[in-house]
Order: sequence, then structure tokens, then C-alpha cells
Amino acid sequence: MNNQFQRERLCDGVHFSSVTDSKFKHNRITANLFLKLDRAAVTDNAIVPFILRKGCRECPDFTRLNQRLCELYGASLSCDVAKFGGYQVLEISIYGVDDRFTLGGEAMVEPCARLLTDILLDPNVDTNGVFDAHDVEIEKQQLIDTIESQINDKRVYALSRCKSIMCEGETIAVDKYGYIEDAEQITAKSAAGAYRRAIETAQIELFFNGCGNPETAKRIFMEAFSKIRRKPAPIETVSTAVRADQVREVKDEMDVAQSKLVMGFRTGGIPDRRAFGAMRMMVALFGGTPNSRLFTYVREKLSLCYYCAARFDRLTGLMFVDSGVEKQNKQKAYDEILNQLECIRRGDFTDEEITATRMLMQTSLKAVGDSLGATEEWYLTQIMAGATLSPADESALLDKVTRGDIIEAAKRVTLDTVYFLTGKEAAQ
Amino acid sequence: MERTVIKSARLGQEMVKIKHPSGLTMLLCPMLGYSTAYATFTANVGSVDTGFKTQDDDAFVDVPEGIAHFLEHKMFENEDGDAFAKYAKTGASANAYTSFDKTAYLFACTDRFEESLEILLDFVRRPYFTKESVQKEQGIIGQEIRMYDDDGEWRVQFNLLQALYHNHPVRIDIAGTVESIAEIDDQLLYRCYRTFYNLNNMVLCVAGNFDIDAVLRVADRVIKPDEKPVEIERRHVDEPEDICKPLVEQKFAVAAPLFQFGFKGCGGNPRENLKNQILDEILAEIIAGDASPLYRRMYDAGIINSTFGSEIMAGRDYMCAIFSGESREPERVAKEIKAEVARMRREGVDQKMFELCRRATYGRYIGMYTRTASVAGLMSAVYFAGMDDMYALLDIVANATPDQMNERLQIAFNPERSALSIVRPLDE
Repeated sequence: MNNQFQRERLCDGVHFSSVTDSKFKHNRITANLFLKLDRAAVTDNAIVPFILRKGCRECPDFTRLNQRLCELYGASLSCDVAKFGGYQVLEISIYGVDDRFTLGGEAMVEPCARLLTDILLDPNVDTNGVFDAHDVEIEKQQLIDTIESQINDKRVYALSRCKSIMCEGETIAVDKYGYIEDAEQITAKSAAGAYRRAIETAQIELFFNGCGNPETAKRIFMEAFSKIRRKPAPIETVSTAVRADQVREVKDEMDVAQSKLVMGFRTGGIPDRRAFGAMRMMVALFGGTPNSRLFTYVREKLSLCYYCAARFDRLTGLMFVDSGVEKQNKQKAYDEILNQLECIRRGDFTDEEITATRMLMQTSLKAVGDSLGATEEWYLTQIMAGATLSPADESALLDKVTRGDIIEAAKRVTLDTVYFLTGKEAAQ
Repeated sequence: MERTVIKSARLGQEMVKIKHPSGLTMLLCPMLGYSTAYATFTANVGSVDTGFKTQDDDAFVDVPEGIAHFLEHKMFENEDGDAFAKYAKTGASANAYTSFDKTAYLFACTDRFEESLEILLDFVRRPYFTKESVQKEQGIIGQEIRMYDDDGEWRVQFNLLQALYHNHPVRIDIAGTVESIAEIDDQLLYRCYRTFYNLNNMVLCVAGNFDIDAVLRVADRVIKPDEKPVEIERRHVDEPEDICKPLVEQKFAVAAPLFQFGFKGCGGNPRENLKNQILDEILAEIIAGDASPLYRRMYDAGIINSTFGSEIMAGRDYMCAIFSGESREPERVAKEIKAEVARMRREGVDQKMFELCRRATYGRYIGMYTRTASVAGLMSAVYFAGMDDMYALLDIVANATPDQMNERLQIAFNPERSALSIVRPLDE
């Protein structure tokens, strides 16, 4: 039994979507709570999924809960925070084998969906609705660790630093895990308050993706949500400046062997779908594939780096180029990156490059349906953007993009921020 | 042409093993309903192959560290241009990687499978190295190495391997060092190529959306038999059973200490090691998985967090079990694990925990048969371990017994042969 993407309203601000395909052997069921990024509330919100992961009323003991998951053939229950454009998303998901592949023919969809709803809607709280204080203390420290450890991966850290500098003071610059000074203030009560607000006001997207029967999960969700009173806040598009007035340069020093150069661009406000497709293709041709301009010139021809890539954030319209280079090569890399963008603006690229870029993008669009995680992420992004294009629709859109569209897209791009993470002077 | 069909009743899936007249073995698993085809062409050579000869060589050659990985990079360049440019015409997404004991060239595609396969089978069989192209690559790989120099996770792992192993080349970095790769030249690359890239030391694996006849057509057209089969002799390295040193520490730009605590296993052979890897994965879950009492004790004490996990690293003639994560008190974590292992070695594994962890592992293994990339990887891993049937791994999990666990505890989890690697923040 296969079905294409379907989405329906279960109750106020709660939607249930499903995509099924018999080729899979697993089901992935998720609840995504969308909360507008808010500097004041973000940290309290961020701890909520981690506390929920500790247990529920039905199964309050953390170890017992994990044993229950072992019984469910190692089903993984994952609770984390994500960021979609201007939204913080609390994600609770369970991923397990389908009923057909258990050793003893046990049912899987039903207990998995039930466990997920218990974790989400029936947590382990006292009579005042407050979480266990010891659990909160442990998860508080864990959240602080998570925030602090963001510097461990220098590539990811540098990218996120550039984005924060570029959008300083804006909603989209707010960090999804929040801030250490606020995390230190979290109490069992403040966390419980954040939980209640999230359940009451978030837009909730429930998603079933796999080979099992989505109706089973839907029925369990309907039942559970019928007991909840809600006042959901509508989804708003969060915008950022479309053009840069001047280039801002920021340098940080840290004890690193290799420097990281990140350049943040604004893409000029994209008027329609076709222009959107053109922007995506321009960014891919510029630096999104192993045949792209940045890979070919900055890496292969100049041998300056191992990676130099461009990416486009479809929800904010920002483009970032990042590269790991030696300190003394920064200027060379910087010049060549801008030079390649200039080449595209001048139309100095071949039709073969256009075709190759389009084909590679279409390959990855077709591959979306082979992965449960990618399918869900695709449709959540669509929902956030107020659209319901399938990967095939977008693929068709790319077919229409012309050389002129790509040149136009490149001309709309303006450099906003140059961020350089480099070794300390004394260490050199 | 020998053709064997291997079926799994548990999964309702099958794969075909074909011995092509050229001498190449092909393992093929068409997967109904998938859009993607994933192909890997893998040579049985990796970073541990640092000394070798063929039947025609008088003496062993000792090659610079990192040469297998360097060779992988250089294979993409042929006399008639680079492989990425050829794939650009088919829309396939191509890549390659080098591990301790394998080098794999791969592509994923959704259309024009036959053309992409032809590119793969052609470029990997046509080496082309020049002084200039080797020099250019030294710059790129030099930056790849510098990137890993800033990667705390990478450093903590190689520091552990250097603590566990005295002489075995698994202790050296896969990409080598900036100094070692400076010694690589075109002649050494050709020697390496001629030794390892012959058809009886390679395997082609394809999974997903493709037609078996298409593979045969391309192989008939492209694959020329080797002039004569190569017999490889690898230099034997004497590795004592005991560890090199119990503790290794490094200071680094990370937020909190990262650690890896490892038990050194026995040398073994590829087939035994693959089977034991699976048994040890179940065992590591019993010892310190998130459903275990030990995990709970450490979590509640705040000395581990959700980054904690285990991995069994097994290869041609080495294996070890590694527990890793972030911790404020890594020594205490190591001590706790050692004490728990010692207790279990005395008292035997708990039956209930064994059953839970066996089930969880079974569910996780099913996941490996559902993604085209992991199916191709599984087929090649099983082949180089001297087996044909990738589904046999599922039987090893299903048929595991507590006796096997107790036996493995004695052999592979000896607290006397354990070592701890810590990467500490600079300011600690």
C-alpha cells in the first residue's frame, strides 16, 4: 500500500501527514512542535524535549523506558530541537521496524504511536504539573554541555557564527538550544511552564512515514489530542533583509590549525517560484556540486582547500560560502570566490554546466523518496514555506530555469558578512 | 559464468552473486520500489597496508603513511579528464572513501545507470599520475589533514588507537601526515595501484533501482581481464597482546573533555572478526547501553551525557571495543566500565538484559537492509570477510546465546588490556 503525501487537520493547529511506501521495513512517527524563535523563551523551550525523553506517567523510570524500547526491537525514541527558518522546533520521534519484520509477529505501529503520544502528552509530572527536580537539574547541565560543545566542530561553528553576526538582533539569529546564562536559571517549574505553553500554543505537525498503516497512528493521536485544550499561534513568515548595504568583516581567534572562511550573502528577495528555482540552481552551479565553480577553481585548480562550498537556505533566502584554508591563503580564496560569482553574473559559464547542475539536483530530488528522514524534512520545509510541492514538482520547476534566469539570480546576490576564524597570533 | 541467488526469508529480499569471466566478483541486490541505484567498486586496500609485495617483486616495499587515501584521490584523474566531469554528464552523485582496510569508489544515481556504471568501471581501471598532478593533490590533502587536526573526535580516536596498539598500522592516521604525503610520488602510486587494484582483490556491489542485465552488459564491454592474477603478500607486523599505554591525553579547543575508552581484542581473521563484531555489539549494549544499570548510574551521576555510546571496530586482523562520549570525569567513567566488566566476567551476563539487547540489535540490523547505500556496504564487507550471504549477519544476531556473550567477555573485554584517551579543553 503506497500513498503520496497527505495532510489533514486533526484539531486546532494540529495536522497529521503521512507518506507510505511498501518498500520500507520501518516506520517513523514524529511530533514536531513549531514555536516562533523568541530570545526570552528559547532556552526554557529547548530543555523540554530532553526532559520528556526521561519518561512518562505510564513509564516514569528512564531505564525501564529504554528497556521498553529494546523490547520494541530497538526502536529509537529521539527528542531534540531543530530550527526551521524563524521557528524553533521541538521534535519527538520514534523509529522502529514494522510489524512484518519482528521475530514473533508482534505489533509495532500501535505501541510505538502510543509511546510517542504518552511521552508528548502524558509526562511524568507531580500533582502541580511540575517535572521531577533531579531530572531537570541533570538535563539542565546536559543542555549547557550541548550549547558549549557547539565550538567542537569548527566548520559548523564558523557557519553558525557568521549567520548570527549577519542577522544580529533578528529572530532568525536566535540559537535553537538557547543561551547558557538562561539555562542556568531553568527550574522544574519554568520548564513545566514552557512545556504547557508549547502544548497549548505550538503549531503541531504529526508525521507518519514508512510501510505500516498510518490510520493506526492517526487514531491514537486523535484520541490523545481530543483531551487537550489549545490556543495555537498561527505560523508567520519570518523575513530578513533582502539586500546588504555594506560588507561587515569579523575575525575571531581560537586555537585552530586550519582557518575557516565563511561568507554570508543576501539573495535579493525572490519574487516567484521560477526565480526560486533559478536561485537554487545558481547556488549549486556556483558551489553546490563536485563540478561547481568553487570546487573546480578554488579546490582543484588553485589547490587552496579541501572544501569550498556554497549553500542556500530556502526558508531565509540566505546564501553561505564556507571553506577551510590556511591563514595566508585567505585573501586568495576570498578573491577567487568573488571572482567566480562575477563570472556567473557575466554569463561566463557553459550550457554543459547548467545541464550537469540540473541533473545532479534532480537526482537528489528523486532520491528524497528513498529516505524516511529526507521525506519528512522535505514536507516540513514545504509546510513552513506555505507550499506543498513534491520533489517531482520542484524537479519540473528546474527544467524551466534558463541561463538568463541564473544570471539574474547571481546579480541579485549581495555580500553581507565575511567571517574568519583563525589561529591565535602567538600560536603561529 | 557462475551465478548464485541468495535469499532471505526473514526479509523477503534476495541478492545475486556473479563471478564474471574477467575474474571480477559482482554482488547485486535489486530493490523494488527504490528510485536510487547505489554502486561501489571496492579494493581490498586501506591505510593499514603500509608494507607489501607481489609474487613478482623481490622485496617488500614500505610506503608512506596515507598512500591508499592519496591513491583514491588521484584515481579520479585520467588522461582524458577527471571522473567528476564524466559523471556530470549522467547526473550521478559520485564519491570515494578510504578506511583502514578498504578503498571504495561509488556513485548514486536515479537515471542513466548504465552510463554511470561504465564511468565507474572504466576510471578505476585506468591510473594516470604525473609529477604535477601529485604535487597539486598534496595541497588539497594537506588541507584535509589540517581539517582533521582541528577535529577533537578524530584526535581522541587516533590517540586511543595509539595507546592500544604498539606496532599495528591501525594506529596511524588514514590520510597520513603533511610530512608523509610529501614523500609520495607517481612511481610509488603506480606500484601501489598494480599491487592492489586487480580484479581478484576487488568487488563490485550494486543495490537499489537497476537491472542485473545492465550490469552484465557494462562489465562485458568495459572490464578487461588482468594480464595475470596478482598474489599479494602483506608485511606481517608483530603486535603484542597487551596495550601500549593505559592513558593518553591531549589539550585541544573543545568545550568539555572528550574521551574514548577501549578494550583491545585479538588479531583474528576477517571472517571471525565480522561475526565477533556483531556479538560484541550486543555485549556492549548489555554492558553500557542506555537500558543498562551502568548507563543509568553514570547518567544520574552526571558523568556521561547523551553523546555516550559504544562502537566495535573490526577489520582484517584487528578488533577493539570502544566506549566514548563527553565527560567531566573521564577517568571515573573508565573506572565504572572496568568495574562493571570485571563483575560480569565473574558473574556472567544477565539473561534478561541479554534478551533485550539481542532484540534491539536485531531491529537495528534490519535497518541495514533497507537503504541502498548500506546494502551495498554490507555486501562488500561480507564479501571481503570471505562470506557470500549478507543475510547471515541477521542469523548471527537472531541465534546469539548468553554462552557466546560470556565467552566474548573473557576474550575481548579484558580490563588489563584497556586504555583511555582524553582530549581536554585548553583551559582545564
